[in-house]
Amino acid sequence: MFLAIKEMLHEKLRYSLIVALIFLVSYLLIILTGLATGLANLNKAAINEWDASSIVLNSDSEGRLQQSFLSQDEVASLPNNGTRISQYSTLVKSENGLKENTQLVGLDSKSFIFKKLKITSGSKNIRNNAGVVSDKFKSDGFKIGDHLLVANSSLRIKITGFTPRATLSALPVVYISPDTIQPLNKGVTNAVVFKNKLKNSKIPKGTNQLSISSFIKKLPGYSAQQLTFDFMIAFLYIIILIVISIFLYILTVQKLPNLGVLKAQGVSTQYLILSTLFQSFIISVIGVIIAIILGEITAITLPSEVPIVIDKSNIIVTGIGIIIMSLLGALIPIRQIAKVDPYKIIGG
Amino acid sequence: MSNLIFESVTKVFGEGSSKYVALENINFKAESGQLILVVGPSGSGKTTFLTIAGGLQTPTEGDVKINDSTIKSLSEKQQTKLRLEKIGFVLQSYNLVPFLTVEEQFKFVDKLKNQNLTEQKMHELLSDLGLLELLKKYPNQLSGGQKQRVAIARALYTDPDYILADEPTAALDTDRSMKVIELLRDLAHKRNKIIIVVTHDLRLKDMADKVYQIIDGKMTILEK
Repeated sequence: MFLAIKEMLHEKLRYSLIVALIFLVSYLLIILTGLATGLANLNKAAINEWDASSIVLNSDSEGRLQQSFLSQDEVASLPNNGTRISQYSTLVKSENGLKENTQLVGLDSKSFIFKKLKITSGSKNIRNNAGVVSDKFKSDGFKIGDHLLVANSSLRIKITGFTPRATLSALPVVYISPDTIQPLNKGVTNAVVFKNKLKNSKIPKGTNQLSISSFIKKLPGYSAQQLTFDFMIAFLYIIILIVISIFLYILTVQKLPNLGVLKAQGVSTQYLILSTLFQSFIISVIGVIIAIILGEITAITLPSEVPIVIDKSNIIVTGIGIIIMSLLGALIPIRQIAKVDPYKIIGG
Repeated sequence: MSNLIFESVTKVFGEGSSKYVALENINFKAESGQLILVVGPSGSGKTTFLTIAGGLQTPTEGDVKINDSTIKSLSEKQQTKLRLEKIGFVLQSYNLVPFLTVEEQFKFVDKLKNQNLTEQKMHELLSDLGLLELLKKYPNQLSGGQKQRVAIARALYTDPDYILADEPTAALDTDRSMKVIELLRDLAHKRNKIIIVVTHDLRLKDMADKVYQIIDGKMTILEK
């Protein structure tokens, strides 16, 4: 790859411009992917922490937890290893005036979901109007022992512990007991969550079993939001492909006489093609590395209100995606190289 | 002893009413130690002759043999290897890779041939051609004459059996043209190479061992 490296070192400005372009688009891609992941997590983080496989809801609920009301008979006819979920969206306030929109989730302290919950501080106790609350409360100034006053109700929930990654439909979750949530939702069970998928024969009439991934897709606004991000990300990949194709095409067209003469002098087409692919690979790797570094710095420096998550798997997928697009972008210039006829360059 | 032979070579471009005979029934033989000039006006078929000799085109009829093996019987890969190892090209322009220094032009040949010639050999060659002081210069820092001398040195570096030069003096004044052609003649005689120069510059014909003329695709030998 002697020729490729020497050319890039000699034509620093030209290749730096391409690297800069790849960096800018990659940076945007990494930020957008981070925001997509961050927003997705805000919607579903609590559900992921449940580590469940399926959820049974009312058939008429369209997969929405808030719209699902299971009768006592339906709940009783389901296997008893599920976790009964009662949900109530409301505003809570602390005694010193802090406010938070929240999802109250009622569940049994012996349920598999509650047993799985991790605690970052405090204890895992939801007896006697106590609640284990999302870490978001902690970052917003709430403390262990604080009481949450539920809006339009006389209910007071004492914070006993904080749990990480506990957000549902972009709101922090407060886990409380079924007894605590009862006055708010009149003891309705919205859904029953199972660790394993149930056989269809075990699903009572009038209810519907969804996989957890299908349930997440039906969360209000979730699919529309993710699809919007997916479209933007897909367009950015296409932009990278076009940008690299155009740049490499122009560079190759400018070099065609030299490439023709090199072919006449016995340099194989394969060597010249590999050289171009190598250049495309190197410029995309450099662009991606700079974008990842700056993306990470951006994620750290942005205020915590911005839901951006740049994790390893995203970086790997995005990085490989950009590099593949760069290599694909080299296909048109490669065709030019393969087609260049030394005879025509020499001037027959 | 190397040789290059054209046996009844005809090259036709196009078909029907656009048919054009670029070379017609050419018989030609060159042997080691000769500087051969091929002259003729523009469009006479000189460059077609050169590109067929260099394996860049195949004749419509007839055969071209290098050291008794027929070029058209070789695969494309073998022809590429032949051009790298047996043939040196010196062209009017674009001879040198613009982003390589003079020294790197030679190192690039080493990389291509997977050879590791000593710097001493490169320095000897460049010293013979008076180019040693240009090692670190890029082509755009060289004069026209220097570029052609570097191109000749680069062509010689692979120790080819023959060198094909297409209008190597076209961009040079008379003095520099004579120096370049003298250099090629010395290389033919001292290094026992076949050197074929295609040109329309008749001032050079006294320097050659043989002079051929191509007019309308037909080749004749010119008496010196």
